[in-house]
Amino acid sequence: MSDTSSDTTKHLQLEIVPQRLLRPETAQGLLNEILDLEGVVRLFVHGPRLPGTVPYGPAKGTPLVHDSRRLIEIEGKTVELMVSVGSIRLEVTDADVKEQVHEICEKILPFPFEFREGNFMLRRQTVSGYARFGPDQDPLLVGITDPKGKLKDQVCFIKDE
Amino acid sequence: MAYKPQYYPGATSVAANRRKHMSGDVEKLREISDDDLTMILGHRPAGSDYRSTHPPLAEMGEPECSIRQTVEPTPGAKAGDRVRYVQFVDSMYNGPSVPYFRSYGAAIKFRGVDPGTLSGRQVVEARERDMEEVAKFQIETEMFDPALSSLRGATVHGHSLRLQEDGVMFDMLDRARLEDDGIVKMHKDQVGRPIDKKVQLGKPMSAKEAAKRTTIYRVDNVAYRSDKEVIEWVHRVFDQRTKYGFKPE
Repeated sequence: MSDTSSDTTKHLQLEIVPQRLLRPETAQGLLNEILDLEGVVRLFVHGPRLPGTVPYGPAKGTPLVHDSRRLIEIEGKTVELMVSVGSIRLEVTDADVKEQVHEICEKILPFPFEFREGNFMLRRQTVSGYARFGPDQDPLLVGITDPKGKLKDQVCFIKDE
Repeated sequence: MAYKPQYYPGATSVAANRRKHMSGDVEKLREISDDDLTMILGHRPAGSDYRSTHPPLAEMGEPECSIRQTVEPTPGAKAGDRVRYVQFVDSMYNGPSVPYFRSYGAAIKFRGVDPGTLSGRQVVEARERDMEEVAKFQIETEMFDPALSSLRGATVHGHSLRLQEDGVMFDMLDRARLEDDGIVKMHKDQVGRPIDKKVQLGKPMSAKEAAKRTTIYRVDNVAYRSDKEVIEWVHRVFDQRTKYGFKPE
């Protein structure tokens, strides 16, 4: 297997876990401020799923318009929020950016939050990822998508370069 | 001296609330009309007759039986109603009740009910009008908080998730919303089917009030370990159960 490590420069990985699930407006504000920073490599939001139809029970299949499932604008691109934002995991280039992200969280989040550094995203392809995407997968996408899911439903390219 | 049930040990507010829920001696905080209740339960259209599964007992000609003569049937059984359910979910963030105490409450105060206790949800099955009586009692009293508890027939996982920014328990099916006027309104029935009108469930309790009325021990409110009497009794129950079960051959 070729070296598919996305992170040969040892980027820092951070996790922001607010005490509450964020409203789309708060999430939009927070994500925009974070993505305005130079040095944010990749980022994903995590939280309970907001399906478009009732998934099970007697009302299965009934269209579902959840108040939190809205279109938000991130860096000029419209993104459909498919989860209620519970945590944000991101990869940044160095400790300075980490400090700036922490300051943004303190400024925007109206309640306490946990902020930690660790390993939250894959840095190398897994066997199933290799089987699904092959040896030439973009290193930035490693660990960002579910190997069984559809890419376009899960990933949004904010910056074109 | 007449016997007075003690229900639950402990000197903390949580223990006192547990005793209240078990005894049914709870404060009434809000009102819900019969039609609104029928609408959110979703088992029949509001205002319609109860559907039956057998003729009324009086018309059936029951066999000679001393038990049947001794035990008065519940109104639902008398009329031959179908068995239907109501299911409650309480947030782990100081929700007013917990499945065990909803079950104790239903089984002690009401007849002809079949409470089911699960980790995150509590279901009561009973003849339809008996079930409605239990549901109405629990919704109208301090056993319910519009923000921290909810009627959910399906998709209950919000009970163990963090609260939303507005302090309401997360609901994937978005059955109830805290609206701008500060009142939680339910616009779907308990399984997520849209209903014709918004049913008002009332104002949510403040965080302080919820912490005061909860039956959940939490380290950030009333810690379980701080209730010496409860710990003593739990130890006693475990000790005696273990000794009783120990049977050397």
